[in-house]
Amino acid sequence: MFHHPASHQSLLPSRRQFLQRTGLGFGSLALASILQKQAGAAQAQLNPMALRPPGFAPRAKSVIWLFMTGAPSQVDTWDYKPELQKRHGEPLPGSDAKTGFFTTSGKILKSPFDWKQYGESGTWVSSIFPHLSQHVDKMAFIHSMFLKANNHAPASMELMCGVTQPGHPSAGAWLTYGLGTENQNLPAFVVMHERRPRGDDQIWSAGFLPKSYQALTLDARRNGVIDNLVRPGIQSPSQQRATLDLIKEMNQQHAQNRTPQTDLAARINSFELAFRMQTAAPEALDLNQETDATKQLYGLDNKKCEVFARQCLTARRLVERGVRFVQIFAGKNADGDGAVDDVPWDGHNNIKTNHEACGAATDQPAAALLADLAARGLLDETLVIWGGEFGRTSDSQGSEGRDHNPNGFTIWMAGGGVKGGTHYGATDEFGYKAVENRVHVNDLHATMLHLLGIDHETLTFPHNGRDYRLTDLGGHVIPEILA
Amino acid sequence: MKPRPLHAALAVIILVPSQPASLRAEEPVQLSPEHTAFFESKIRPVLAEQCYSCHSAEAEAKGKLKAGLFVDSPQGLLAGGETGPAFVTGKPEESLLIKLIRHQVKDAEMPPKGKLPDSVIADFAKWIELGAPDPRPALATSAKTKRVIDVAAGKDWWAFKPLTLPAVPAVANPTWGSTPVDAFILAKLETAGLTPNPLASREKLLRRVTFDLTGLAPTSEERTAFLKDESPDAYAKLIDRLLGSTAYGERWGRHWLDVVRFAESAGYEFDNFRPGAYHYRDWVIKALNDDMPYDAFVSMQVAGDQLKPNSYEGASAAGFLVAGPYPGQITAKTEEKIRYDQLDDMVSTIGSGLLGLTMACVRCHDHKFDPLLQRDYYGIAAALANTVHASSMIEIDPAETQRKLEAYNQALAPLLEAVKKFETEELPKRFEDWRRDQLPHLKSDTPWQTFGIQSATAQHAALTSDRNGLVLYAGNKTNDDTYTIRVVTHQKGVRAFRLDALSDPSLPSKGPGLSDNGNFVLGDVKITAKPVDANLKIEPVPLKLKASKASFGQSGYEFEKSVDADPGTGWGVAPEMGKDHVAVFAIDGAGVGFEGGTEFEIQLRFSGFFGLGRFRLAFSNGGDEARLGDAQDMQNLRELQVLTEASASPAGLLRWFSHFDEQMQKLSAAVTDHGKSKPQPTLTEVYTTTNGGQDVFFLRRGEVDRKEGKASPNFVQVLMRSGDAEKKWVPPPDAAQPAVHPRTSLANWITDADAGAGPLLARVMVNRLWRQHFGQGLVSSSNDFGSQGERPTHPELLDWLASEFVKGGWRLKPLHRLILLSSVYKQSGEINAAAAGRDPDNHLWARRPARRLEAEAIRDALLQLGGKLDAKIYGPSESNNESGRRSVYLRVKRSELVPFMTMFDAPEPNQSVGDRGNTTVPTQALAVMNSAFVQDLAAEFLKRIMATEPAGNEAVISKAYELALGRLPEPQEIQRMSAFIDQQRQLLGEKPDARNQALHAFCHALLCLNEFIYID
Repeated sequence: MFHHPASHQSLLPSRRQFLQRTGLGFGSLALASILQKQAGAAQAQLNPMALRPPGFAPRAKSVIWLFMTGAPSQVDTWDYKPELQKRHGEPLPGSDAKTGFFTTSGKILKSPFDWKQYGESGTWVSSIFPHLSQHVDKMAFIHSMFLKANNHAPASMELMCGVTQPGHPSAGAWLTYGLGTENQNLPAFVVMHERRPRGDDQIWSAGFLPKSYQALTLDARRNGVIDNLVRPGIQSPSQQRATLDLIKEMNQQHAQNRTPQTDLAARINSFELAFRMQTAAPEALDLNQETDATKQLYGLDNKKCEVFARQCLTARRLVERGVRFVQIFAGKNADGDGAVDDVPWDGHNNIKTNHEACGAATDQPAAALLADLAARGLLDETLVIWGGEFGRTSDSQGSEGRDHNPNGFTIWMAGGGVKGGTHYGATDEFGYKAVENRVHVNDLHATMLHLLGIDHETLTFPHNGRDYRLTDLGGHVIPEILA
Repeated sequence: MKPRPLHAALAVIILVPSQPASLRAEEPVQLSPEHTAFFESKIRPVLAEQCYSCHSAEAEAKGKLKAGLFVDSPQGLLAGGETGPAFVTGKPEESLLIKLIRHQVKDAEMPPKGKLPDSVIADFAKWIELGAPDPRPALATSAKTKRVIDVAAGKDWWAFKPLTLPAVPAVANPTWGSTPVDAFILAKLETAGLTPNPLASREKLLRRVTFDLTGLAPTSEERTAFLKDESPDAYAKLIDRLLGSTAYGERWGRHWLDVVRFAESAGYEFDNFRPGAYHYRDWVIKALNDDMPYDAFVSMQVAGDQLKPNSYEGASAAGFLVAGPYPGQITAKTEEKIRYDQLDDMVSTIGSGLLGLTMACVRCHDHKFDPLLQRDYYGIAAALANTVHASSMIEIDPAETQRKLEAYNQALAPLLEAVKKFETEELPKRFEDWRRDQLPHLKSDTPWQTFGIQSATAQHAALTSDRNGLVLYAGNKTNDDTYTIRVVTHQKGVRAFRLDALSDPSLPSKGPGLSDNGNFVLGDVKITAKPVDANLKIEPVPLKLKASKASFGQSGYEFEKSVDADPGTGWGVAPEMGKDHVAVFAIDGAGVGFEGGTEFEIQLRFSGFFGLGRFRLAFSNGGDEARLGDAQDMQNLRELQVLTEASASPAGLLRWFSHFDEQMQKLSAAVTDHGKSKPQPTLTEVYTTTNGGQDVFFLRRGEVDRKEGKASPNFVQVLMRSGDAEKKWVPPPDAAQPAVHPRTSLANWITDADAGAGPLLARVMVNRLWRQHFGQGLVSSSNDFGSQGERPTHPELLDWLASEFVKGGWRLKPLHRLILLSSVYKQSGEINAAAAGRDPDNHLWARRPARRLEAEAIRDALLQLGGKLDAKIYGPSESNNESGRRSVYLRVKRSELVPFMTMFDAPEPNQSVGDRGNTTVPTQALAVMNSAFVQDLAAEFLKRIMATEPAGNEAVISKAYELALGRLPEPQEIQRMSAFIDQQRQLLGEKPDARNQALHAFCHALLCLNEFIYID
């Protein structure tokens, strides 16, 4: 069984468990000795983010989830359907009026993009991804994704938390709960966005898990600053150090007069972690340390994609430093394409102008991230996931747009333990519905957890009368896409 | 994961092998070799490869069995799974198995990974048609088992039993403890051979109980007063004072808001703000401060809108039902699911929050561990069927409005009296004088008479009319509107109608039309006439009209087009807008008029454009060729002349005349003017529930496209004294009695301490109080009193408290007193070596450990220390997190929770939370170290200290300790802090305000101490 100390009802381990695990006699409970034993279980008591071993050998240590907010169209990105080109304007067989959010025409809309095959795998890619198409042999495509919700917020929750209602923990929270983090001086779970995506922090919620597993968000509009990270201007470093020394000393005295309480010790520890984070986090976020060549590779000098370029480069720097889970909400729509900037890929009116704009805003940085991770030997231990909250209809909305479609869409994964160049599952000949090897988000999550060394059925938390998991009652690992 | 103990509740769940009627009662079908070959080649390989991983004995052994279905034996298939038998022998079209593999059942497409080839599906259909020949041996393990819940046995679970009043145990130690609560605790400690701690110092006790009851620190004055008061009941008086402060309701109201997943926004797609949601929060605070009995507190939340209809109190309280998240965008596809999710939100919150029952587990199936039936769940859901989210406009204080209205009516009476008096005593005489002296000299040569307007309405627009026959547009204009004006005249021989389209500065481009450029297009005019006297029995007569004359006609929109057969064409006046226009429609034929008066219904239909903004209608019974003339009030005079000549009714004449009498006009104006001051009720937007919704159906596996029978209001069986006891709360329909709203029934059942859920309701609430006072409940899983929750450490004490609670009229404040006066509560938190060994989790309460304040109390304590706490209570929520309002008033928006709150474990308000987490992370430390909020408050804190003019650093340190930590510093602490201040001064160098900055650093450091947020 996957064992986790924080899963106890009280959200903190019982004193008995603590004492059993640390092997401390009752007479020797002086705080000093607790602090000396920071290894292993004691560390977990003091720090909920302490590193915990996975259930079996992991293939990846970190995840970078590139969330294409607003839902890219599968048939205009990675799921080539020549039938659409051939039968443009004809009625779509099996068209179901209940699929989309608005009303669709029922008539086939061809992809407005040119398609070519790339790589040894001969993967078809549309022309909006001139950079990513160079990396198809690193990617394992799941063409048969489906989920239940057909609107952005519930679908985003379903994609990240497994259920369509708010209040459940997201994949990032589950992972940090399960594994802790390698670098105590940095947050373990980081979310980056420009305009907040529709559904906001319900999508990256810690839900019913302890609050220690909530994400830290970096808002591009605020230059990605971390709140309270900077020492107040009136205080010099030596003043702050002296203050922290005082706090530590007084807190230790305070603890000595009281019965042993791990939370008192944890709080003493947390000030030291915070002190180190003040230095470590700005260093991790400082892109000036990168070479011009690297910045250019990501596209920091390209107006169309500079925001996502900074986020992707930041993501690489974070996983390089042991951050467990990084999620970026990405895309930038064009005027009049039917999308709103909190769901940029949402091309209701014009899939061509929308996806061209969103492609231009995301293609180069995402490709650079894969190339850069690979060049640094990090891709093997980093799982990169690309996709949106659902797909889009094969028939048109209006004459040139596409509506929401939760019944079939493509997500790809690359890096850590994934078999590059593979294609798993399929939609029908029109790309309308997943028909072969259908994959629900529970399966995607099970596979992700598997790559991180966790059996999804053992990562549980007691809540509301039963043990919950990220995959709830479902989930099958997809062995076909594992290397 | 923590292994789940198999509690006694499992005993009530009996595994019964089911016996489907068709299950091989007769002889097994003799299989032909062809059938066997068919099964072995076409069916078995597919079952083994595609299905066994989830539907076989092997899958069950691995814990992977899905839907309770086994396909690895003939019996398993015939018995079927949770959704019924897999097939109907010989009838593939009726067989579930075929439907599933054809992907005809949504969200149950089998196999889940992808559809089987059509040829394989055809094989299965054929196989079933053949009678499903299956040569496999019967497997004992795969016979379907069905859980049956024995409700009667379930009533033996400790939490579901009736309340008893256990005897207070005798104890050996005569010196420790004085209350029954102490006796229950001490008895267990003595059995364990343990001695509880001595009492905490009065200083510590003051700080403990003040934070516990109010969420604030004792002030310096309160501290001095309490320490000085040496009377034996000083502590009891302190408790009474704290329970009497409004801060009590704010503190304990916040605890309750966790339980009811309170937020002020919808969550989901757009997280729409609910401006009227805060009234529920205010209602909770006020109810707690008023010590509203808890049974009433609960009933009002479940059915306040029914118990006190149309009242502010009832509507606010019912905010409980709709405090949960609810999607802002709903489509046909998601509507049903959203509705059942909303019901689930309410049922779950009632279950977990009020009764400690995990009802959410029962949406899809009977409870796996507790004796809760799906029927119980859908019964409650059905009681909640007519509960929809609404923002209602409610009058907060109708009595006040009524009082004002009475004053208004009192002032009105003499004015009306004056009018009446003048009408009867003066007017007839003045009319006679006027008729005699003036009328013969008056001249009006216009043939036009205005109508008395009966009504003026439109399909879309709002219209008003005045007594001079003017019709005015008042709002909501649309294209293609139709106006209907009903007028009456006593004239006969009506030959023509006149329409004055009047310009006015208030209209777009001065009108007279409502289009942006002031134009209109009158597409069609229809007039019907009927007698006023209904006894004449004459059907309305449509009049044939011809366009006689108009002041102007637009090119292409000539006047004639208003009476042609085509309503698509019409009369317009461009470019002559901004002026008055007039048009005359003559009746084609004889003059019209009935004995006793005629009512005309005039329909003006506008096409393609907006209609008229201001117009008047008149008629003429003069010559055939009606002349145009100016529209003016004197037209009324003309009618009067005519009427007078015709010797019409005296009352009508007087009415017309009154318009021209100055004195009469003055008196009428006084009435009209007073009318403007008529008190209107002040309506406030309250987020609450209103009737609506539809029937609730049982859902197989909780899925909305698998509806079964209709559910009717009903409650949890195991929480009823007798089998059909629900009749007590849900009376059968009876014409003689007014129907009881199902939510009122629900409230009555929940709070029924004798025969309903009352005992459990009381236990759960008593436990919440204990939990908030001690940091851990007697049942440590506050929201789960079922078998998966924790067992009570002191079941007798819990029952004793619950019985006292109910006996005392469900009042919470006496219950607080019972707990707070105990020595268990008052004891110190210091190490108790013996207890640490034998009771490391402190379940026996040999000490009361220090506890960290909650997020709200930390923020409030900081504000209080900085002297920035705003004393305002109630009102709309505060969106500025750094304001001085108490944290309970901070805006709770689901997608934008306040970071300072969530980092200190304020829960997400999506589900009921009974036990908040208590985590420690570096971001908390960063916030207290570096945030401007804390730094600034430290500066304000220092200002408060300096205002007392302390003599030297030692005095500053003493005052700071007193205010921040509620105690004076020890000598060595003064020494250490003085050294720190000196050190900071040194580090600051020669700066002019170095001392002040050093003192600020000291004040700030105090706020970072564990002692500041951990209360002994």
